[in-house]
Amino acid sequence: MMRSILAFLAFAAFANAQAFSFRIGAPVASQDFQFKSAAFVFRTEGCAGVEKLKITAAAVGRVNGERRSMDLHVAASSSHPGVFAVAQQWPQEGNWVVSLKGECGDKIAGAIVPLNRQGFIRESAKFFSRAAKDSEIDAALKDLAKKEEPK
Amino acid sequence: MTNHPVQVTTEILAACRTGDRDAFRSLYDTYKDRVYSIALYFFHGDRAAAGDASQQVFLKLLTQIGQFRGDAEFSTWLYRMVVNTCVDMTRRRKRTTDLSDTLPAPARQHEEIEQRQVVDAVQAAVAELPEKFRIAVLLRHFDDLSYEEMAAILNCSAGTVASRLSRGHRMLAVRLKKFQERWK
Amino acid sequence: MEMTDPAAERFAQSMLAELPLVEAPESVWRGIEARLDAGERPRPAPVFRWPRWAFAIAAIFAIVAAIFWRASQRGWIDTGHSSQTIAIGQIGTVTIAPGTRLRVVADRPEEHRLALQHGEIHARITAPPRLFFVDTASGTAIDLGCEYTLTADDRGAGELHVTRGWVAFVWQGRESLTPAGAMVRTRPVSGPGIPYFEDASSELKRAVDGRLDVNAALGAARPRDTLTLWHLLQRVSDTDRAPVYDRIATLAPLPASIDREKVLRLDPEALKLLKEELAWTW
Repeated sequence: MMRSILAFLAFAAFANAQAFSFRIGAPVASQDFQFKSAAFVFRTEGCAGVEKLKITAAAVGRVNGERRSMDLHVAASSSHPGVFAVAQQWPQEGNWVVSLKGECGDKIAGAIVPLNRQGFIRESAKFFSRAAKDSEIDAALKDLAKKEEPK
Repeated sequence: MTNHPVQVTTEILAACRTGDRDAFRSLYDTYKDRVYSIALYFFHGDRAAAGDASQQVFLKLLTQIGQFRGDAEFSTWLYRMVVNTCVDMTRRRKRTTDLSDTLPAPARQHEEIEQRQVVDAVQAAVAELPEKFRIAVLLRHFDDLSYEEMAAILNCSAGTVASRLSRGHRMLAVRLKKFQERWK
Repeated sequence: MEMTDPAAERFAQSMLAELPLVEAPESVWRGIEARLDAGERPRPAPVFRWPRWAFAIAAIFAIVAAIFWRASQRGWIDTGHSSQTIAIGQIGTVTIAPGTRLRVVADRPEEHRLALQHGEIHARITAPPRLFFVDTASGTAIDLGCEYTLTADDRGAGELHVTRGWVAFVWQGRESLTPAGAMVRTRPVSGPGIPYFEDASSELKRAVDGRLDVNAALGAARPRDTLTLWHLLQRVSDTDRAPVYDRIATLAPLPASIDREKVLRLDPEALKLLKEELAWTW
């Protein structure tokens, strides 16, 4: 029984080591001065060969109760391949999250990154081994609205 | 240098056509460093000329953006403007090399001093290339464009692009041969 | 020895790889905006046009009431009761708070350097790193692409608060790296202290600001505070270093490429790799 559990854990660890996912960070993580004003930076993990990578990003927000979304430009670091930055391209008003989707061959990763005036909210970011669903994005926006309510 | 192609969305282009300053800024931010760097090295490290050329390119872009129909890559259209602007400026201005305004980097340690010498040498070698080879080498270096894309930008055949790159690289190899041992 | 063509091609490309991408200075965008605002691009006619003489008078007032000084002035700047803003070449601006005394030490394209005797400055720099420096009696702030506030008293004691980007503060070989949202205190005898995030607990701040209390710092650290712990690695004795490293590894699981033994020996490359990995938690 113990051997089976250990084998399962070892397999899970191995599978996990291969998982394609995002890692987000503050601009300093990029080591690239061109990204010093970015809202956040990110890299991918588990994708062998940056040339296979395809990234899309969208900002989704609620402004005065109205849901809005926009495609975002993602900048690639020229000095650190595999590192990307998202600059603020959405308005100051309202609550916003950024939804990331990455494709590496047949692997997909997703992330929802909530934002406030200070930048991205690391503790509230969510990560998926697929694209984020609209319902998950809406839930993140709802949580953000609660946090940002004046106390 | 490897660069990852950045997609300019149709939304950004459409917004630029309506005079949306934020959309134009986004477009500018996407390409500004490559345009500036190509101009900088084309003009032998002259920051003032590079700044002028960059401004002209982006202003031209905004003025003529209504003419971009999307039948070619946006980058092809943009870089064609970069090439034309650099060549036009060269014809109009006297060639000066302002050594005080060339690429700086404070060298604080021995390794940095050595690295600085390499960069200076490469920059000087590029500056000495004939104009047609210089622009081809810089376009290829800063945006890793295909021969076909460069042919569209330079208004020549892909074979001519290959020839200019090959001859440009050979000239650079000769001028920089003192660094051969280091490279090995 | 003559190189073959493919070898020459490869060699040339490897040499070209040394050519850095250069960030376009902010002045390029400002120039574009100025020309757009001057009507270089077709736009709706303004409702009202100022007569030309109004521009001339405005220009005279601007010169007389100038709040922008070229940073090529080499003397001391004493702001007295008002603040001043100076341009740092084409790479940014520095706002000098009231009651500040500083001097322009160098104003060259490859080096812009101020000496802050006392007071407060707020720097906004849009240039590649290591072009803008501020000397104080307790060390030098090296801009790595950022916006920050630096204060100093006559003895050199002060604080560096970074709002955007990140700043290195160096003194006699001791260096602190302070990213956005963090601060570091500086002291005249010992140079830069250990940086911490402004939202760190008061226990952590007390543990590293005054007399160093390693155990208290380790106990109070969150994952984000690996910024502080990374600096602590280089400030503690050999005996204390292992617990600091182990606490870092608990707070921020590290990849196999990070060599614990090399870090404990303060191998520069290992420390650099560790810093680059930990920066993803800062």
